[in-house]
Amino acid sequence: MEKSFNLLHIIQHRRDGYGFALRPQHVQRYREYANIFKEEEEERSYKWNYFIEQQAKSNHSSSSEEERRAKLQAEADELREETEDDSSGKNSDSDGSTKSYPGKEVQLSEQPEKKVQLSEQPENEVQRSEQPEKEVQLSEKPQKEVQLSEEPEKDLKLSEQPEKEVQLSKEPEKEVKLSEEPQKEVQASQIPGRETLLSKESDKEGQLLKETKARKVKSWSWTRPSLHVIENMMSSRVRNIKDLKDRHNTINGDHLPSIKKTVTSGGSSTVEIKKELWIKETSDDNVDESTEESSVDSKLDPESFFPWKELEFLVHEGVPKDLRGEVWQAFVGVKTRRVERYYEGLLAEETNTEQSKEHNNSKAAPRKWKKQIEKDIPRTFPGHPALDERGRDSLRRVLVAYARHNPSVGYCQAMNFFAGLLLLLMPEENAFWTLVGILDDYFDGYYTEEMIESQVDQLVFEELIREKFPKLVNHLDYLGVQVAWISGPWFLSIFINMLPWESVLRVWDVLLFEGNRVMLFRTALALMELYGPALVTTKDAGDAITLLQSLAGSTFDSSQLVLTACMGYLAVTEARLLELREKHRPAVLVVVEERSKGGRIWKDSKGLASKLYSFKHDPGSLVEEKKVSEGDKSLLESHSSNLDDFLSGLSVDSEVDSLPDPQEHVVWLKVELCRLMEEKRSAVLRAEELETALMEMVEQLEQEVADLRQVLADKKEQEAAMLKVLMRVEQEQKITEEARIGAEQDAAAQRYAVNVLQEKYEKAMASLGQMEQRVVMAESMLEATIQYQSGKAKALSSPRSVSSSVESPRRRIGLFGLGWRDRNKDKDKPSNDDSGTS
Amino acid sequence: MGCSSSLPDRSTGRLGGLNVSESGGVVDAKNLRVKLVLLGDSGVGKSCIVLRFVRGQFDPTSKVTIGASFLSQTIALQDSTTVKFEIWDTAGQERYAALAPLYYRGAAIAVIVYDITSPETFTKAQYWVKELQKHGSPDIVMALVANKADLHEKREVPTQDGIDYAEKNGMFFIETSAKTADNINQLFEEIGKRLPRPSST
Repeated sequence: MEKSFNLLHIIQHRRDGYGFALRPQHVQRYREYANIFKEEEEERSYKWNYFIEQQAKSNHSSSSEEERRAKLQAEADELREETEDDSSGKNSDSDGSTKSYPGKEVQLSEQPEKKVQLSEQPENEVQRSEQPEKEVQLSEKPQKEVQLSEEPEKDLKLSEQPEKEVQLSKEPEKEVKLSEEPQKEVQASQIPGRETLLSKESDKEGQLLKETKARKVKSWSWTRPSLHVIENMMSSRVRNIKDLKDRHNTINGDHLPSIKKTVTSGGSSTVEIKKELWIKETSDDNVDESTEESSVDSKLDPESFFPWKELEFLVHEGVPKDLRGEVWQAFVGVKTRRVERYYEGLLAEETNTEQSKEHNNSKAAPRKWKKQIEKDIPRTFPGHPALDERGRDSLRRVLVAYARHNPSVGYCQAMNFFAGLLLLLMPEENAFWTLVGILDDYFDGYYTEEMIESQVDQLVFEELIREKFPKLVNHLDYLGVQVAWISGPWFLSIFINMLPWESVLRVWDVLLFEGNRVMLFRTALALMELYGPALVTTKDAGDAITLLQSLAGSTFDSSQLVLTACMGYLAVTEARLLELREKHRPAVLVVVEERSKGGRIWKDSKGLASKLYSFKHDPGSLVEEKKVSEGDKSLLESHSSNLDDFLSGLSVDSEVDSLPDPQEHVVWLKVELCRLMEEKRSAVLRAEELETALMEMVEQLEQEVADLRQVLADKKEQEAAMLKVLMRVEQEQKITEEARIGAEQDAAAQRYAVNVLQEKYEKAMASLGQMEQRVVMAESMLEATIQYQSGKAKALSSPRSVSSSVESPRRRIGLFGLGWRDRNKDKDKPSNDDSGTS
Repeated sequence: MGCSSSLPDRSTGRLGGLNVSESGGVVDAKNLRVKLVLLGDSGVGKSCIVLRFVRGQFDPTSKVTIGASFLSQTIALQDSTTVKFEIWDTAGQERYAALAPLYYRGAAIAVIVYDITSPETFTKAQYWVKELQKHGSPDIVMALVANKADLHEKREVPTQDGIDYAEKNGMFFIETSAKTADNINQLFEEIGKRLPRPSST
C-alpha cells in the first residue's frame, strides 16, 4: 500500500496539470508556476463566461424578421445539441448564462407563424418535418433558446450553399449518435422524458442507433450552444477557404503536379502559379474582409456586431481548460467541415480488405503509413494516463482516417502528437475533423512527402530573424549555428515537446484562433527575443544550441511568451509571410524537383541547407537566383546547385566523361563559367567575411580600449578621492600633533610647578633647620640662664625655699632636656616628642 | 588589467570559430570539437543511443523525434585528448530526409544506424550511406551501427552483412545495444580515435 502510494506520489509530481511528463529539471519551476497557472485559469474562465453571456445577451436584443426565421431553423440544431450537452454534463456554464434570460420564451410563442415561413423554403423541409417534436422539447427547456439567436448567420449561409443543406438534412442521424455513448444511454434511461424523446425518432434512426451502439465509443459531440457565436464566425472563414480551394483544385490539381509544371515549362508558368498561390493564400488571409463582404451581401451582418477584438484579447490571455476543446473546434470550424458518415467511411475502408480504389500507387503507401503509425503510437506522449489501450486505439483510428482522407499527405511524424493532444481535449471524431482543419488549411503543404512549405517557412523565418535580430544572428553565424536547426523542429511540432505544456496550449489557442500559422513565426521570434541576450554570451555552437533548447523548454511564463509574440510582432502578418514565401518558394521547389529526378549531373539534395547557407553568406544571392529561375532552365539548375558543388568540395571534373552531347558540353561550359564566377564570388565573400571578422575584432578592441579608458578614468577618480582622504588624514595628524605638543607643554608646566614646589619645600625645610638651630641655641642659652639663676638662688634662699626651687628646675630640665635628646634621635618627629613629653 | 590578458585569447577563439563553421569543428590538438549526425530509419534507436551515451539512461518508450534534437557530450580518450561531440539526432521517417541535409552538412561524423531485427532498416542505412557519399562532406567519417543487439534471437540481419557492407564503403562497423549499454561508449571512443587530428594535417 505504502509503496504504491509513493509511486503515485512520484508520478503526480513528474506530470503537469495536463498529465504530460515533466522533465526532472523542470519539476521545481513547474511547481513555482503551478499557482500562477491556477490563478490565470480562474481569471480567464470568469472572463470567458462573462463574454459568452454578453454575446448571448446582445444577440438576444437584436431581432429582425429574417433573423427570427433563422432562429426557428436553428432551434432544431439547438435542441439536438442540448440533449448532447445535458447528457455529457458539460453545459453547466451555458445553463448559467442562459437561465438569466427567461424573456426568450416569448419567441417560442411565435413559432407557429414562423413555421409557415419555413414551409416557404423547400430546402428546409427536413427540418420542418421535425419541428413538432422539437417544440415539445422546447417547451421543456425554454431557457436554452438564448443560443438560438446565434444561429441566424449560419442558416443564411446554408441557404446559399447547396452542399451544406445536404449536411443539414442528415442531421437527424447525428442526433441519434449523441445518444450512442454508453454513459448517455444510462442517463437517458434514468430520465423517462428523454427516453420517450428517443422513441419518437424514426425507424431509420433507430437502426442507426443500434448500429452505432455497437461501437460503444463516444465518437462525436457537438460544441456547447454557448460557443455557437464563435463557431459561426469561424465557420464562415472555413467556407471561404473551401470555396477558394475547390476553385484552385479544379484549375491546378494538387500541389506537386503544379510544382513540376513550374519547373519544366519555364518562366511563364512559374509566374502563373505564383499568382494563383498568391490569390489563394491572400484570400485566406483576408478572411475577415471577405466574410464581411458576404455578410453584407446577405444583408444580415452579425459579424459587424461581433467583438473580434474582445475575443482576440481573450484568446491571447488563453482559453479556459474546460472550454478549450470546444473553442478550438469552433476556431477550426469543425462543424462546417464535418461531413456526416465520412469518418466512419474512412475507417470502414480498412475492413473492406485492402482494395485501393482511389489511387493506383496508393497500395504501398497506406501500408507504409500504417506501419509508421504503429511504430509511433506507443511513442506518443508515452505514459500519459489518458493514452491507455483505448486512447491508443482512438489515436490509431484518427491517424489512419486522416491518412486516407488526404493521401497527398498521408501520415507524417508530428501528426501523432497533434492527434494525441486533440484526443485529450475532445471526442474522437471531433479530433479527426480538427486535425483535418489544421493540416489541410493551416498547414497546407507542410507535412507532405516533400515538406515544401515547411522548408519555405524556414527560409522565411531565417530572413525575418536576420531582419529583427541582426546582432544575434551575427553571433550565431560566427559560432556556425543555423537558426533553422532549432526553429525547424519548433515549427514542425508546433512547439509540442519544445515548450512547457501551458505555453504550447497558449500558442495553439492563438494559432487556431487566427486561422493561419503566423503565430508560429511570432512565437519563435518572441523566444529569440527572450533568449537572444543569453545566446550572445555563448562561446561555441554546442553551448548555444543546448542553451536555446533548454531555455525554450523552461518557458513556463506562458503569458509573457504569448504577449511578447502577439504584441511585439504585429508587423509579422500573413500578408508579409505570403510575400516572403513567394520569394523563397522557387528555390525550394527547384531543389525538390532535382531531388525527385533522382540525381543526375547537377543533383543536389542539400536544398534547404544550402539555401540557408547561401543566406548566411550572401543574402542577395537568393534574389539573384530567383531572377535566374525565370530564364534558361539549364542555367538555373547549374547555377543553383553549383554553389553547393563548390562549397562541398565536389569536383565537376569527375563528371566530364559522362557528357557525350555537345549541347550538354555547352551547358557544362556554362556551368564551369558559373562555377568560376561562383568561386570568385565566394572568394570575395570569404574576403568580406574575413574583413567583417577583422572589423569585429577591431570593434572589439576599440571597445576594450574604451573599457580600459573608462577603467583608467575610474582609477584616476579613485586616486583623487584617495588624495583627499590622505589630506584629511594629514590634517588630522597635524591637529593631533598640535594637541600632543600642547599636552607636552602642559606636562612641562606641571613638571616646572612640581619643581617650584619642591624648591619651596626645600626652602621650607632649610628654614625649618635654621629655626631648629635657633631653637637649640635658644635652649642652650636658656639652660645657661637657668644654671645661672639656680646658682644665684642656692646662695641666697632658705632651706624651704631651696627644696621648692630644686623641684621646679628639674621639671624644666626634663622638659627641655628630653625634647632635645629626642630631637637628636629622631628629627622627623620633633613635635610628637614635644607633645609626648608635654 | 584582466581585460588585456584575455584579449588575445578571444581573438584566437574567433579565428577558430571561423574554421569550425566550415569543417565541422576542431578547437586544438588536445581538445577536439566535432559535429556528429545520427541517421537511420525510424525506430532503430537513434535517440536511445544518444540518450544512453549522454545521460546513461534507457527509456523503452522514448518519444518520437520531430525534425531533430540536439545533445552534446565530452569524452576523454586514452591519449588524453578530449572530444566534445555535438550530436544531432534526426527524425527517422522517410520524408524528413528532405530536412536531413540541414543537419548533416558540415558534420564531421555520420553515424548510420539500423536495427538487426529489421532488414528494411539495413536497406535504409545503405540509402543513407549513398546519400552521404554523394552529398556529405568528402572527408566525413562514417560509422555503421547495428543496434538492438540484445534482441539476437530475433536477428534478421547477419553481423557479417553489416561488416561486409561497412568494409566495402570504408566505414567503421559496430554492433550495439542501447538497452544494455553494450558497445555504446566504445562506439564513440572508436569514432574519437578515427578523427583527423589537426596536428597531423
